[in-house]
Amino acid sequence: MKIKTKLILSLIMLLFLHSCTKEEFEGPSIDILYGDFELIEPLTLTSKNPNFSNNEKVGFSCEFNKPVEWKITILGLSTNAKREITGLSNLIDPNVTKWNGAPSQLPFFQEEVCAIELTFENEIDTLRDTLTINSSKTFDDGIWVENFENGIPSEGIVYYKSDGGGMTFTLANDDPLLGSSYFKMGGRVNWDWALGSIDLPININNISQSSNEIYINIGILSDLVDLHLGQFINILISEETDTPFNDNANNNASDLFESTMEVYKMKVPVDWDGWQMKSFKYSDFEPLSPNDPNINFNMNPNDISAIRIACQACPSAGAQENCPENFGKDVRTDIDHIIFTSNSSLLDQ
Amino acid sequence: MKRSLLILVNFFVVLLSDFNVHAQGNENIWFDGLSRSYFVRDAIDKSTINDTLSPHNRSNGYNLLDLNTHVNPIKDIEIMAQLRIRNSFGSFFGSGTEINVRQLRAKGVINDKIRFSVGDLFLKQTKFTLFNYDEELSGYENEMLKPYRDIIHYENFYTQNRWRLQGIQTDFSFKFDRYIRNLSFDFFVTRPSGSSQINETTYSSDLLLSGGSIFSEISRKLTFSANYINLYEVAPSGTNNISVRNPVQGISLLHHFGNEKYRFEQSLQSGFSKRYWLYSELENGISDSTSNETKGMYFELNNKLFMKDSTLTLTGGYRYVDPNFRSSGAQTKRIDYAYTNGKTIYPRYTNMSLVRPTSLFDLISDEKLYNQDLSSTLMPFNPIYSNILTYGDATPNRSGVFMKARLTNKNKKYLAKLNGGLFKEVIGQGTAEKRNFGLFKGAVKINFHKWLNLKNELSFSFSSESELTKRGGDAVSSIDLYTHQLSMFVNAELAKNFFVQASFKQFNANGNEFLTQRNNFGNITYFTSVQEIDQKDHLLSAGILYKFRENVYASLNYSWWGAKFSDQPDYKYNRLLLILSLEL
Repeated sequence: MKIKTKLILSLIMLLFLHSCTKEEFEGPSIDILYGDFELIEPLTLTSKNPNFSNNEKVGFSCEFNKPVEWKITILGLSTNAKREITGLSNLIDPNVTKWNGAPSQLPFFQEEVCAIELTFENEIDTLRDTLTINSSKTFDDGIWVENFENGIPSEGIVYYKSDGGGMTFTLANDDPLLGSSYFKMGGRVNWDWALGSIDLPININNISQSSNEIYINIGILSDLVDLHLGQFINILISEETDTPFNDNANNNASDLFESTMEVYKMKVPVDWDGWQMKSFKYSDFEPLSPNDPNINFNMNPNDISAIRIACQACPSAGAQENCPENFGKDVRTDIDHIIFTSNSSLLDQ
Repeated sequence: MKRSLLILVNFFVVLLSDFNVHAQGNENIWFDGLSRSYFVRDAIDKSTINDTLSPHNRSNGYNLLDLNTHVNPIKDIEIMAQLRIRNSFGSFFGSGTEINVRQLRAKGVINDKIRFSVGDLFLKQTKFTLFNYDEELSGYENEMLKPYRDIIHYENFYTQNRWRLQGIQTDFSFKFDRYIRNLSFDFFVTRPSGSSQINETTYSSDLLLSGGSIFSEISRKLTFSANYINLYEVAPSGTNNISVRNPVQGISLLHHFGNEKYRFEQSLQSGFSKRYWLYSELENGISDSTSNETKGMYFELNNKLFMKDSTLTLTGGYRYVDPNFRSSGAQTKRIDYAYTNGKTIYPRYTNMSLVRPTSLFDLISDEKLYNQDLSSTLMPFNPIYSNILTYGDATPNRSGVFMKARLTNKNKKYLAKLNGGLFKEVIGQGTAEKRNFGLFKGAVKINFHKWLNLKNELSFSFSSESELTKRGGDAVSSIDLYTHQLSMFVNAELAKNFFVQASFKQFNANGNEFLTQRNNFGNITYFTSVQEIDQKDHLLSAGILYKFRENVYASLNYSWWGAKFSDQPDYKYNRLLLILSLEL
């Protein structure tokens, strides 16, 4: 029995010695995490004169001794266009951290000199550089819905309350987002929510992306001059495939947005000054009639047949008076550059 | 699972109705269980806290009855169903009344040879494979706070350091007339958690735990056992193609000798663990792959001497647990610090509605802070309440010596307990420097009634528990944390079975530490520095207790409790507690 015991004991000791951990320490180094910040590699750019119109991208590289929250700010010195790229790491990899020439929000970058700053959370160090844009990015990579450059599409249907005051709902050329034309939507309808809308047919039945991968992008213009505080845009997207776009020619609207059809909606409050590019993932749209058991809301981008962009505002008088403080104020929700993109928003393409 | 439970319930209801008539004649149905009436009234000490947002005081309580129905349809089979009826105070006519099936189990013996259990199982193996370790600060609990502890344990199914699991278990044994004396086997398969919906399109996988033990009495003085346990996910039962695997194997030898006065036991145990995540790529036609694989081992040598008259027990030994040793069944904690924001008593305080930090009293009294689910990764912990053996004896990255002693005299005039240990990390965390740990716990109970030959009990208990953590090195990574819990308790039996009791507890923590952050695969990703730990918790209680008989008592007491912090507002609260507990 003693021999048995010794044998088993020896075996255990052998296993014990075999499997001792041999690493030096677990986890990241505390000395580095809590030590002084040090720059290991300086900030470098893969291109100082990018041609963004050719889809060129500028990669950034830098390395420091510990993981920190960093921020790269690119500022167009002529347009004041701005792009911020952030991260938490000890390495900025030019294959990962790239700029495509788009801003974080409008205005767009033009052919101009840009100042670049790399800053770090809780550190005083700032690294600076510059680049010159040889050709600016064109934002037409996607599936066009409308850019209004050739006027309002012939099959499009524009409707507005003609008895409102100062109703626009027409093409304009004074302040386009891109190109030379845009569509104005605004006016004054104190007694009702709806001011008007534009319905456009869409045919994208050859795309393979799912609703999670498709983004709808739309430029929206407003101003802060006597701003109506309850104005918004309602975007409806129809996947009705059995009904013609304009089945009833007498009702001033497309017939693809009935409550009995597979229609999705998105409400966009408009409360800013100037142009903004808004992007929405299609899967974030909500069903228009979610409780209708006869509609199969399966959201298939291939079936998208029409889009309605409606200008609405909270009524300030009459039976539906909800916002009396907005009485007499003009609504402005002008639009331009409506385009579908894949996998990311237009500015991140 | 719910559907299965319903089917089982219906099955047992039918069985019950069938056997009721039978039982009246043959006594094949018997009942036991527990009844409890619980009432608390909590109040803010306004002199300390500027809090006008919380009610000055609040009260709640409930009556509950857990009725265990045991049915023996035939001699070798027993079916047990625990039905809970719980009625919150202030509710009438069904509103606020809950009726639940709390436990269901069938057990029996097949052909007088193979035992089996199906349903709710309470499982335990060794301290390194499957073991439900006691919670923090509960080592030397005094009797005044025992009702709280009993409720926490009962409500969370903590029984004899076992995990409550649902599944099937069987065991059987053989006797031999040569080479070895006997050989026993025990196997089980359980499902700690089922597949559940995470979001619209994602479902988690079933988590299963299976294992087995072999136990053999090789001779009268030497026994051998081997244990195996595996926690694993069944990927096809969910939508994720990634599933955890955590097999642990262990063996142990127990040798003993002695004479009519003493007995000496030596045990030696060792084992291995492996944990990894399996990526199933069957749909893509690619072979499976693994990631985040860790392998570790443990080793413990334990020597125990005890006198057969029970006056002295002495234990000492050495333990090594590898930094990469991972055992879900043994390293899952009772207290879930990830959810300590959901405290029952005043979860927010001050006019800024701050989340109230956890205190000693919360750990003692709040059953909702406790966890019943096995975790495949190391759970977060609070170093001020336990920094040395955070995950019990299976705490990874520890090596060191330990000792325990229990001393009394034949008349039991006093009882003294000691518990100590000196441990060191096997490898450092975030630095090559290793933490050194010192654990010193002592408790003494003096039975004055035995010294003074009094008929009724008069006793005084005192305990002191300290933990010291130190790490050298440079100023950035060095650690010095000291925690201490002091406890005193007086128990005076004024009349037969009627006691007046008073208790005081104080907990201090001073120093600095680093909180470890881990990712979903249990790898350390960051160390959060906590430089100024300075916390002082207190709990003063006084009350009366009447024991009708063992496990049947009524207790009424009042507590003053609170905590002081260096970096956030202090707080103080009061509580009135009434419990009537009857074990049927």
